[in-house]
Amino acid sequence: MTSAQPARPARSKPRNRDWLHGLLMSTPAVAGLIAFVGIPFGYAVVLSFYNVRLGSPLAPSFFGVEQYRRLFTDPDLSGPFLRALLNNLTFAVVVVPLQTGLALALAILLNRKLKAIGLFRSLFFMPVVFPMTLVAVIWRLILARSDQGLLNSALHAVSFGNWGAFDWLGDAATAMASIIVLSVWQGVGFQMVILLAGLQQIPGELYEAAELDRASRWQQFRHVTLPGIRGTLVFVAMLTSVLAFRVFDQVYVLVHGGGLDEDATRTVMYQAVTTAFDQNNIGQASAITVVFFLIVVALTLIQRRVVRPDNED
Amino acid sequence: MSSTTRRYRRMACTGLALVLPLAALAACGGGSGGDTSADAGSGSGTISVWAHQGQKSEDAALQNAVKSFNSSQDKIKVELKLIPGNDYTKTITATDASKLPDVMEFDGPTMANFVYNKKLAAIDDYVSVKTMSNATPAAKAQGEIDGKHYGLGMYDSGLGIYGNKKLLDAAGVKYPTGLSDDWTAAEFTAAVQKLAAKDSDRKSLDLQENNGYANEWGTYGFAPVVWSAGGSLLKDGKAEGALDAPAVVSAMKTFQSWKTYVDSNTDGNAFAKGRVALSWVGHWMYPTYSEALGDDLVVLPLPDFGNGPKTGQGSWAWGIGAGSKNGKAAGTFLDYLLDDANVTAMTTANGAPPATRTALAKSELYKQGGPLQLYADQLAKPCGDSDITKTCVAVTRPLTAGYPTVTAKFSEALNAVYGGADPKSALEKAARAIDQDFSDNAGYKIQ
Repeated sequence: MTSAQPARPARSKPRNRDWLHGLLMSTPAVAGLIAFVGIPFGYAVVLSFYNVRLGSPLAPSFFGVEQYRRLFTDPDLSGPFLRALLNNLTFAVVVVPLQTGLALALAILLNRKLKAIGLFRSLFFMPVVFPMTLVAVIWRLILARSDQGLLNSALHAVSFGNWGAFDWLGDAATAMASIIVLSVWQGVGFQMVILLAGLQQIPGELYEAAELDRASRWQQFRHVTLPGIRGTLVFVAMLTSVLAFRVFDQVYVLVHGGGLDEDATRTVMYQAVTTAFDQNNIGQASAITVVFFLIVVALTLIQRRVVRPDNED
Repeated sequence: MSSTTRRYRRMACTGLALVLPLAALAACGGGSGGDTSADAGSGSGTISVWAHQGQKSEDAALQNAVKSFNSSQDKIKVELKLIPGNDYTKTITATDASKLPDVMEFDGPTMANFVYNKKLAAIDDYVSVKTMSNATPAAKAQGEIDGKHYGLGMYDSGLGIYGNKKLLDAAGVKYPTGLSDDWTAAEFTAAVQKLAAKDSDRKSLDLQENNGYANEWGTYGFAPVVWSAGGSLLKDGKAEGALDAPAVVSAMKTFQSWKTYVDSNTDGNAFAKGRVALSWVGHWMYPTYSEALGDDLVVLPLPDFGNGPKTGQGSWAWGIGAGSKNGKAAGTFLDYLLDDANVTAMTTANGAPPATRTALAKSELYKQGGPLQLYADQLAKPCGDSDITKTCVAVTRPLTAGYPTVTAKFSEALNAVYGGADPKSALEKAARAIDQDFSDNAGYKIQ
């Protein structure tokens, strides 16, 4: 970024002090980041080079890049790991546009003067308040593979008895789709509220002016609404992508008691947690998280490049 | 991004990397004092107790025991904390030894790992001689490592197949009367199919699918299939050749073939409501099932895959945390917990075979001629964890500190097989992973 040269040569002192003030003001946040993100991550990097076990009486032994070698070349480990990466990516690629689009649609739907609009808004927001684990348990009943499952019995009724029992969670083809649907259902309200706030900041005069210019509904949406919430939309999409990579709860709950196909829905977080806490293998789990961190950072940087929020307005 | 911030970022990163003390590794493994005996303490004061949250009736029995203990004397006050059963073992694993309670419950097969990790203290010095000698041989053996005892259970466990007599007779299915005339796997499969053909939803079997299989239930409930096929989870510290033997693979193929006939049991009531005629589960469902079916309930052994019928054994037990400063008081509480009144209350609540001699002798359910005699018969033929012959029935899960990996990998494979994966490659993969882990940990020798 180059800014136009100031006319007078800038004095260096105040600029230095600005920098100092800036640093002082950001100290609390930076300290928090270092304490809660930086240091643990530093530990993870270090631990991934050791053979460390949770609570093992054996002293950690230096392992070099063995954990990483296994992660990428040991067929038993690399298979599930690469599959987990792919699952994560699939989840993100589907969920981000779907959830952002749906949130926008809902926000526009609920951005009007209606009686009891607050009631509708809270209805759509309600799933966000429930913990994901609880939502997963409820959806387990919806997606149950017997003909008693809510979804199966509904389809049975709609199709005049031509629909039998289908194993939504256990079938490799629909397992991930099931996870995606329940995740979107749970999360969409949150993005909706943010977008709703964005929509309400667009001045009404703009719409009036557009109407005077005989702009159609669609044109108003294209040329008034979208530019007005562009920043919000970009923010929501970014937030959703970061959250999408963290998917864990619903997979864990449903694998451990809902008959979910583990291979088709294993995510990297899931693998890291089960490696660390079911098999007590901290070194391996650290290596998984380090690789994952690098991938997510790379993807986020690419995303920042591609959709840069306008700072001009 | 300006070059100054970049430079500072690089400096910060370098600084961070330098500041990280490698010594902190010790916090994550090793380094714990190595002292595995609790301090005796004064024998009075407050002691903390952790237990797993089981069925409502079990929780109530335990809470009552704690309440009556607290009101029976005023020297010791017990504070009970219940932790959900599914995450209980994880909780103990992830808790530092010094933060563990004075008295804690643990699932039998996890004990070796907690001893290895120096989280459990030997209880011999704190529990009375009377309590120790009253424990049944099976329960005592489960709690013993290198001649020291680390745990005692209130109850043991067993697996069986509950049958709905009315449905079995209606379908004309012949079923065994005991261990001696047990059904083979093929006969069992045929029975399941015959029952399913008569069933409105074509489902005739419950395998407790609602519990999931990628967890301890998977290992406990279906390792008997491996043992009964002549294999084992671990032989002389190696899984390869034991877990992926051809006989085990074909047994797993049979297990896989049942899925079509299995009710997913989402509501947990498939058998109690009569939707299925057979339920493959442990003693703990007896209270619920007998209430629902009354005289129509029959208790049958698991099918024989060639090496004789097998069942799991061992259950939750009580021990003293290695960091306890109040071992004497903890022992007093354990004595109280393992007396006849409390053991009987607990085993009445969960239908388990009592793990103390006196309570077992009084048990209405498990005496000869009692409704659950089969479980007592099974436990009377123990195999231990390594010598799995054709004639013994109750097998103990591998007594090794590496058990967490064994169970994680086996149950993961089981879950995959149930979901349709190829049994051979799933079992081979599990065996390789287990062996890799054992070699990474120098065979989990308990020091």
